[in-house]
Amino acid sequence: MYNYLKRKFSYSHKSAGQRYFALKEIIRTLSTLLLICIVLLPFYVAILYAFKPVYEISANRLAFTQSPTLINFYEVIFENKQFISGFKNTVLNTIPTVLILVVTTSMSSWVLARFNTRFYSLMYSIMTVGLLIPFQCYILPLYVNFFKLGLVSNNIGFIIARSGLQISISLVAVTGFVKTVPRELEEASSIDGCSRFATFWKIVFPLMTPINITQLVLNTVFVWNDYSTAIILLRSKESQTLTLAQITYFNENTTLLNHAFAFFILAMFPILVLYLSLQKYIVSGITAGAVKG
Amino acid sequence: MRQMSAKTNRSRSVSRLTKKIHIGNIMFLLPTFILFTFVVLAPFIQGIPYSFTNWKSIVSTNYSFNKLANYEYLLKNKYFLMSLGVTFKFTILFILSSNIMGFFLALLLRQTSRFNNFSRTVFFLPFTVSVTAAAIVWSYVFTDIYGTITGLVSPLGLESQIVYAMVIIASWRDMGYTMLIYIAAMQTIPKDFYEAASIEGANAFQQFRRITLPMIVPAFTANITITLAWGLRTFDLPMVVSTTKRAGQTTAVYVYQSIFANNNAGLGQAAAIILTIILVVLTQIVSYTLRRIEVEL
Repeated sequence: MYNYLKRKFSYSHKSAGQRYFALKEIIRTLSTLLLICIVLLPFYVAILYAFKPVYEISANRLAFTQSPTLINFYEVIFENKQFISGFKNTVLNTIPTVLILVVTTSMSSWVLARFNTRFYSLMYSIMTVGLLIPFQCYILPLYVNFFKLGLVSNNIGFIIARSGLQISISLVAVTGFVKTVPRELEEASSIDGCSRFATFWKIVFPLMTPINITQLVLNTVFVWNDYSTAIILLRSKESQTLTLAQITYFNENTTLLNHAFAFFILAMFPILVLYLSLQKYIVSGITAGAVKG
Repeated sequence: MRQMSAKTNRSRSVSRLTKKIHIGNIMFLLPTFILFTFVVLAPFIQGIPYSFTNWKSIVSTNYSFNKLANYEYLLKNKYFLMSLGVTFKFTILFILSSNIMGFFLALLLRQTSRFNNFSRTVFFLPFTVSVTAAAIVWSYVFTDIYGTITGLVSPLGLESQIVYAMVIIASWRDMGYTMLIYIAAMQTIPKDFYEAASIEGANAFQQFRRITLPMIVPAFTANITITLAWGLRTFDLPMVVSTTKRAGQTTAVYVYQSIFANNNAGLGQAAAIILTIILVVLTQIVSYTLRRIEVEL
């Protein structure tokens, strides 16, 4: 179409093609803006309700409030026990989980990327089979085992389970990355008499920094937002994470909408900050994982 | 003779060295392997025999084997078949909408500019929000915005529309993901291809059909396979929005309800095995077919 117009008008009306091009850009920008508005609609609703004073909620629901207030946030942070314990549990679960994942998967990925005899490819296939099996297929035995070992409804059990569940995905990404790292440096260091352990921690691990940061950020997002593992293993109110706490809180206080929405915003806030400041890593992690299949 | 012994000595030391490397490697693999076995592999294997038992409540360990009774019951059970129907309907619509939207967004935003980068950030934002919070906030979007504008009841409240509402929420969350992958694929296409094509007189549609589409087929394979797997195992979204409504209950929720709420652990485990078989078979067929299409293009 563009070329057709360009050819038709190129001699007589030189600007027509340009005008068409500009029009196309305007349509493109406008439709993007429209879609942005639609995508942000739920965020608008959440922010709107969270900043409204409680007495204003029922009247004129969608209008932005004349007197925005932070009181809802204060009350959630300082008075809401579910939020406080949920936040604490989520932080205490997320940090060890992502650290365990970085250490274990980077060590194994190095071996799996460098050796490809039958034994190692079998190990790789076994450990990545988790990508195929749905979680529901082993919740019953997982729960029963963890219950016997006293790992239900506590942080340690959740950390173990969540890192085990994340291994397959991380392993694929990190192994793919290590294959692109040249071997020369490690070979030189092993000739120099470095032990394998020292070679890994002094030479290889620093070279893996980009993928490790990506893994840290992505896994933080996944573990922070986890719901499926939490609902199965964290069955007491004290051990609930934010995702569970926000549902219980919401179901128990359907009338205190403002507080519920302030709760949602506070729960997603750390991840939002993480995403906006370290987006580069999230985007590269996601595209790298997909391109490799 | 002396040469021979030197040779065997060397080969012995080499084999000792490889053995040492091998042990070292196993030390590197062990932590991951133990963790994975403990959480995924062992429970998975353990679970298979459970599906042939009449295990009721998970609190007791009182159960006996009942052969294929669970499977026979499930294949005739109305609610299980309904949950499979919901899962398939949801999955098909979800694959279509998240991929069409993601692809469309990628076409809009494939060029790198400040505005486009900002837009990509916004479209990926929902992916970083927890499904549970998203589902609850969306239920207010449906009642307060959709309801106010159209005067209709929220689709989440209607048995006939709840699946569509779930598809909307899930696609809202995941289209940023598919978009990123399509954009990454589009950016690998060299600009010269388009320049050459436009010099040859190919119009925009021909360029799209002959250059863009064949070059990004791998991205289609990746996205369709992953959205298929996500769709079939959908659990958190229906858990939040439709615990009370059968019309929105996916098979994953059926499994959870049987094991933890209805005291039918053996039956739930059998349902989970059926779901796993369907998932494995379908993802293999789909990715195999898509790879063949890739080769043909």
